[in-house]
Amino acid sequence: MGDLISLAIRSIFVDNMIFAYFLGMCSYLAVSKKVTTAVGLGAAVIFVLAITVPLNWAINEYVLKPDALIAGVDLSFLQFIVFISVISGFVQLTEMSVEKFAPALYSALGIFLPLIAVNCSILGAALFMLGKPFGGGLGGFASATVYGLSSGIGWFIAIVLLAAIREKMKYSNVPKPLKGLGITFILVGLMSLGFLSFMGITI
Amino acid sequence: MKFLHDILEKQRPAFEKGGKLEKYFYAFEALETFMFTPATTAPAKGAHIRDAIDLKRMMMTVVIAMLPPLLFGIWNIGNLHYLALGQADATFMAKVMIGLQQSLPIIIVAYTAGALVEVPFALIRKHPINEGFLVTGMLIPLVMPPDIPLWQVALATIFAILVAKEVFGGTGMNILNVALTARAFLYFAYPTDISGTKVWTFLDGGKPIDGFSGATALGVVAERSTQISEAKSDFAGQAVAALADKTYAWMPDLFSFESMFIGTIPGSIGETSTLACLLGALILIATGVGSWKIIVSVFGGAYLTGLLLNGLAVNAYMDLPAHYHLVMGGLAFGAVYMATDPVSAAHTELGKWIYGFLIGVMTIIIRVFNPAYPEGIMLAVLLMNVFAPLIDYYVVQANKNRRLKRATV
Repeated sequence: MGDLISLAIRSIFVDNMIFAYFLGMCSYLAVSKKVTTAVGLGAAVIFVLAITVPLNWAINEYVLKPDALIAGVDLSFLQFIVFISVISGFVQLTEMSVEKFAPALYSALGIFLPLIAVNCSILGAALFMLGKPFGGGLGGFASATVYGLSSGIGWFIAIVLLAAIREKMKYSNVPKPLKGLGITFILVGLMSLGFLSFMGITI
Repeated sequence: MKFLHDILEKQRPAFEKGGKLEKYFYAFEALETFMFTPATTAPAKGAHIRDAIDLKRMMMTVVIAMLPPLLFGIWNIGNLHYLALGQADATFMAKVMIGLQQSLPIIIVAYTAGALVEVPFALIRKHPINEGFLVTGMLIPLVMPPDIPLWQVALATIFAILVAKEVFGGTGMNILNVALTARAFLYFAYPTDISGTKVWTFLDGGKPIDGFSGATALGVVAERSTQISEAKSDFAGQAVAALADKTYAWMPDLFSFESMFIGTIPGSIGETSTLACLLGALILIATGVGSWKIIVSVFGGAYLTGLLLNGLAVNAYMDLPAHYHLVMGGLAFGAVYMATDPVSAAHTELGKWIYGFLIGVMTIIIRVFNPAYPEGIMLAVLLMNVFAPLIDYYVVQANKNRRLKRATV
């Protein structure tokens, strides 16, 4: 249990997808103009990460790993292609079922759901998971779920913070050549300076 | 004075619209208003708000409030210098001279480097240069160690004013605290010159007396806390004992609670004295320039976190009495001068409580759990600067919802 809490805190703050790995920057920069939409996209990322990471973990553990399916067969060269198919398939499935069963939520999330299929932090989390010593069995599954969930929460926090700052920045007098994306890059750099405070924390 | 003002006033037409030096109007205006009062005042008729306070006066109040830590810091540099060299009988004046010799160049370099960025920006982008510049230029030297190379001060000041302030549009529009950005920049770019045990006491190349160590209080405690133990007896009281152990021939009771409160300890120029910072806080609170809510909640957050860690202690640092945290390192300086920066702090009243409290909490967490950084207040304030707009956003939303509910009932 202590390990899981430590893993969660580490992946939310210390190994933050945005400020430590710069993953998922494209939608991070594009959809962070308003807090409400940022919350929508962030929530969708949490949801997708929390499902696909354990799903990919299970596939890797029971199918792709050497000797997992058939003794002597190593399918790990398929990792990338399988992971990305699982992610896009799952996003598609989610989109369809949300559209069917919860049209209100679907219209609220709008374009963000399909966008997530190409969000680097989703595939990134699946690949980082491979390098983490999660082990097998139920413990491994729990770790993978916590890892996916809390990576998503970290991404959520990052995008909501940026959106709030960008809303405040309407009052700033930014030089013309830097307006829009330019100042946002500088801003994210400064934000990660603040998040450096978590670097090296041992829990 | 009148005589000087007249000379300056005579030059005014050349700088006004249509004059031949029109381009440099904001440089002229800055010079005039820094030295005298502005020519324009609220008209007798038509102004709805009548108050003596304006941005100028507010910023000057902050500069005045910074004098206690600055003056104390100047004396303290000299004091530690002579004590470390074993000349405890040096006169007060000699100590102050050494302090001035070390701190004045830093202040001058910070102002000059700041002006190098600020003035061209003001002239090209046509925004006035105001006293926010004087505040930043004073805050930066106060958070530097006395032995810092001057080129680093210049580099950090230029970086901070350019990237943290001017690209956002100048005074009042920055997201992060400018002075802290300068310090954080140095901290991550040149860590050896701004941390460790060598930089906090100015030795002037002299040979320190036997048993001398330039470690700060935070460093001393962190050093003693590497061992994690289940048994409480292994670490109980160890942190205070570690501080008490640093009683040298050159400085009895170097790290007693009282001397840390008064500030005769190694550290950055302005941060050592909790007492001087509290004096400054009195000025800020009495004039209404700094928010007492933020100051109180930073101390409160730090103290409560300290207490909580005492209860959960597994090493000497977590066992350190909570009130020690309040006088060690730069917590008081950060709480009084950095966290209260009205631009980068939270703007809503409830938001200020939350913002300050989280700064206190994060400071102690970084100090205790992050062996990479002995001091936490700087990064905690920067982190909360990032969080402040979000805190405000949700406080405003909650307020809206509450009032909407009342309206519909």
